[in-house]
Amino acid sequence: MSLPPPIEESLIVFENVSRFYGEVLGVNRVTLSIPPGITSLVGPNGSGKTTLMNLMTGLVRPTRGAIKILGIPPDDPERLFRLLGYSTQFDSFPKGLTGFQFVYSFLRLFGTTHSECEALAWKSIERVNLVEAANRKVAGYSKGMRQRIKLAQSIAHDPRVLVLDEPLNGLDPLVRAETISLFRELAAEGRHVIVSSHILHEVDMISDQVILLSNGYVVAEGKIQGVRSEISDHPMQVLIRCNRPGALASKVFEQDSVVEARIHADGGGLLVKTRDPDRFYRLLNHIAMNGIEIESVAPADDNVNSVYEYLIGAEESTK
Amino acid sequence: MMTLWWAQIVAVIRLEMKKTFFAKRGLWVYLLAAAPVLIWAGHSINMMMIRDHQRDVATEHPLATETLESIQHGMSRADVEEKLGPPYSRRMVRTRRQDRAWLNYTDGESNYTFMFEDGELRGISKRQIYKCSIPQDSLIFATVFQFFYLRLAIFFGCVGVFMNLFRGELIDKSLHYYLLAPMRREVLLVGKYLAGLITTVVIFTTSTALQLWTMWLHFDRAAIDEFLRGPGWHQVAAYLGVTALACLGYGSVFLAAGLLFRNPIIPAATVLLWESANLFLPAALKKISVIFYLQSLCPVVAPPDKEMAAPLLLLVSSAEPTPPFLAITGLVVLTIAVLIAASFRARKLEINYGTE
Repeated sequence: MSLPPPIEESLIVFENVSRFYGEVLGVNRVTLSIPPGITSLVGPNGSGKTTLMNLMTGLVRPTRGAIKILGIPPDDPERLFRLLGYSTQFDSFPKGLTGFQFVYSFLRLFGTTHSECEALAWKSIERVNLVEAANRKVAGYSKGMRQRIKLAQSIAHDPRVLVLDEPLNGLDPLVRAETISLFRELAAEGRHVIVSSHILHEVDMISDQVILLSNGYVVAEGKIQGVRSEISDHPMQVLIRCNRPGALASKVFEQDSVVEARIHADGGGLLVKTRDPDRFYRLLNHIAMNGIEIESVAPADDNVNSVYEYLIGAEESTK
Repeated sequence: MMTLWWAQIVAVIRLEMKKTFFAKRGLWVYLLAAAPVLIWAGHSINMMMIRDHQRDVATEHPLATETLESIQHGMSRADVEEKLGPPYSRRMVRTRRQDRAWLNYTDGESNYTFMFEDGELRGISKRQIYKCSIPQDSLIFATVFQFFYLRLAIFFGCVGVFMNLFRGELIDKSLHYYLLAPMRREVLLVGKYLAGLITTVVIFTTSTALQLWTMWLHFDRAAIDEFLRGPGWHQVAAYLGVTALACLGYGSVFLAAGLLFRNPIIPAATVLLWESANLFLPAALKKISVIFYLQSLCPVVAPPDKEMAAPLLLLVSSAEPTPPFLAITGLVVLTIAVLIAASFRARKLEINYGTE
């Protein structure tokens, strides 16, 4: 009988990690220990979420401190990336490749054979429901499809740790629901799924734990419930891109929790403020199935930022 | 481990080849490679047209050299035309004071022009018809090859291909896909370098071969065969080899520069300046350049520039050409040294597209 692995080999560990970009602070004095399951990094733009993910994956190096991913330092790519997959926020791809070629070609870098790579590529493309578009050029994909093919590429080698930077951005409600269910599936298999988001409501729905970041500092970590109750009084603003924003506005006003809805300046979307994001997203799923074509749902984030200001203010006031 | 590294290198080459061969931004590399081919093709077509014209004239107006030489000053135009027949071309200028005429004849070797004033032969000019020889063209080829093709076309071609291997992907924000693979950065560097090398070697050696072919296009088959039986094949092999070695050397320099500098113009200009100043550098410094080894390997020595100013000629220093074995070894050592230096940079490379 083999011995269970040491505890540090099942954790992602940051020990007093700081990263500065010249004079600019990326993250400062981060000490974390992340167990398996879905962990969300939450914070407003510029709070250090992406820096933390890039540090985790060796794309940037810490100015101070040490990082270990299941016992492996990020500067050992040969070992690390056999068990880690990273879907970055960069919406860019090598030129001229189809979705399948994109996933397949980077699998070949693992040194596996053509047939193995082909099988793994199709399996992951199937997992993100993109089989029909797999032989089309990535350049012609919609934002949501590009998100999904990036996800397929990051899970294709069956990693134990999955790092996903804003993976739900640009996804329509149905695909968003499917993707969240995929994250849950992956976490249920005992993997680490690290997701960044600046939508607290979103991470509320999917996370086992949350790490709240502000200005490069970890301001809170742990279960989400405590944080959630604090923000329930603060309406959240969402931009929905769709074909009939007027019709969508009349539908969403049927909900008590919607406090404001206005058609976007370009006429191609609707800005909605809601006090009950849960109900609002359920309504959107319903609407998407009833004739209004919803292209994307994204936070229109002045208000989310204000929520964080509120949270961070609360954090600071308790210090 | 070596098997894995090799599989990874091959995978990188496969990904890179498509980009380097068919990139829109690399179109000018093809134009650089095609430019000397077009020049030589133009030269050959021009020579063939001249030769055909001369042949037609000689056929239509056959004249013996002795007959043409028998024409004397003072003869009348009518006498000359009676003796030689009608010229293949003529020109007349009539003024109030004087009538002037020029009659052109040929014996196939030289062109004769007889100038008449008021019907009397006043001047005879004899010009040998220009004919190229393979050794003559080879000398011109050596000059074009060393001063344009090596120093500019291949040089800037390598700037375009090798600088983009890392820099281009940093600009396109797609380099991170490579850095997120279970692969040593050194392996990635070698893979990218080999992809660039294959691309440039294919493009530029093809161009060299086409240049030689187009240069010989206007010569008789027999003359070409004779040349090939002599130094010909050796020259062909040497030029192709030097082209490949130029891609090897310049490629490593510009791959490293693409990792070190954001703006390719600065390193390219610096290296160009250094390589151009090679002629004036002390013998020891000459050896720290790619062009020194390449010139040592060229089969025909390019003639010195006759129009170079005398003070500059005084500054020209000569270093004994390196023997081929040492020149090739020197270039390979230089390439490996530069690649090792580049691999240190690659290991420390971070993804921070915002600053690119």
